[in-house]
Amino acid sequence: MTAVEDEVRRIEADAAPTRFARGWHCLGLAKDFQDGKPHQVLAFGQKLVVFSGEDGEVNVLDGYCRHMGGDLSQGTVKGNNIACPFHDWRWGGDGRCKEIPYARRVPMRARTASWPTLVQDGMLFVWNDPQGNQPPEDVTIPRIAGATDENWTDWTWYTTVIEGANCREIVDNVVDMAHFFYIHYSFPTYFKNIFEGTTATQFMEGTGREDVARPQNTGSNAPKSLGNSSVAAYHGPSFMIDDLTYHYEDGDIQSVLINCHYPIDSNSFVLQYGVIVEKKPGMDDAEANELARKMGDFIRLGFEQDVTIWKNKARIDNPLLCEEDGPVYQLRRWYEQFYVDVDDVTDEMTDRFEFEIDTDRPNEAWKREVAENIAAREAASSDQGQPV
Amino acid sequence: MAVRPDNRLADGAMQPVACDACGACVLVRKSSWEQTSLQWSAEAAEACVERRAASPRPGPNGTAFSGCGSLRDSVRAAVHRGEVKVQIEDDLKTNPEAQEHEHA
Repeated sequence: MTAVEDEVRRIEADAAPTRFARGWHCLGLAKDFQDGKPHQVLAFGQKLVVFSGEDGEVNVLDGYCRHMGGDLSQGTVKGNNIACPFHDWRWGGDGRCKEIPYARRVPMRARTASWPTLVQDGMLFVWNDPQGNQPPEDVTIPRIAGATDENWTDWTWYTTVIEGANCREIVDNVVDMAHFFYIHYSFPTYFKNIFEGTTATQFMEGTGREDVARPQNTGSNAPKSLGNSSVAAYHGPSFMIDDLTYHYEDGDIQSVLINCHYPIDSNSFVLQYGVIVEKKPGMDDAEANELARKMGDFIRLGFEQDVTIWKNKARIDNPLLCEEDGPVYQLRRWYEQFYVDVDDVTDEMTDRFEFEIDTDRPNEAWKREVAENIAAREAASSDQGQPV
Repeated sequence: MAVRPDNRLADGAMQPVACDACGACVLVRKSSWEQTSLQWSAEAAEACVERRAASPRPGPNGTAFSGCGSLRDSVRAAVHRGEVKVQIEDDLKTNPEAQEHEHA
């Protein structure tokens, strides 16, 4: 046995990061925050207040009043402002104090932290940036056509708090090839990861056995499943859109899954996922919603298994990978860009990287040809007396 | 908190391959016949003709360039010539538990 084989592999891990990722984070469905009441959200290691006033704008402010520290999430929405429950100081969505009912003037420096927000396709997003910069124009969340199309269902939405794990654990899932083997019993026929800029994409074609566990209409007359095609992408550190098509003998079913999270602190996060499904001709709303619900429940089962793993696993910065594993290190290199200052983002974090598995090629014939080519070249060079 | 190097690169490094169409040079590694990794540089991405000509695919994730066909052929040819090593030549495995699952 060599020295290397004899040596115990040590798990290495730095402490969880103390800062929170730069980027757009989805806080949930916008309508849940647009009821005229203040909402407390624990995120990015702080207490935030989310509220929507008469103008309909959704605002996110630091949760504590700069006057005497009152909890604004226990306050009241008055006009377009949030009023503190302690002394009624009124704060606008821009973070400025607009009025103090008992004072003649608002003091200078009456400004609190506010977060840029975006309401799009029924979801509320907040921009987090430890450097305090505004979101660059080219860093956006793409539109999801089905979300505003009446031929699609509304969002079926799930929210769960994960205690005892850092949110970076969930991001590793994008490259987890072994997952396919154990959950779906085989590798996908086609799989590809592309990391480039602030986007990490996963293309996947699944056939046959994978569909055994997939949600579908049951019963002897149910159409036979022919597999599925998925293009899933993280747009920034925490928001993934999965454009997912199920193929059946009698046609395709289009759906979009969202898989997103935001950190509560360095050791807990909120995981959310949502589903919309295209209504097929002849499918009524109840049937379409039931299909979306089945898909969501199926995803929930998968996440519940993951959560048990996350809560008990060790953080490992030096995973020992075999050749069949996915590009875990390359994904983490991409993800790291969200945890450093903008000026410290390096080319290797954002340069394009591709990882592809294609099982559709006739490898036996290919292997044989390559072996013949190499043998022929070696024979030729040894004939000429050249070193090989 | 720099990310560490991939342990698999110690067993076989990435190897340069130039695209026959535009000359863009990328680093290539094949863990198996089915698997290919490509590391692009900014220069290679700029040089790629197919990338410049590509239009977005439909759907919310359509802006990501899905890949260059000429580069894929060039890599394939380089493997064919024996210039890019295939780390493990055995076929991909399937899960033995799959059969039990099927009979259950």
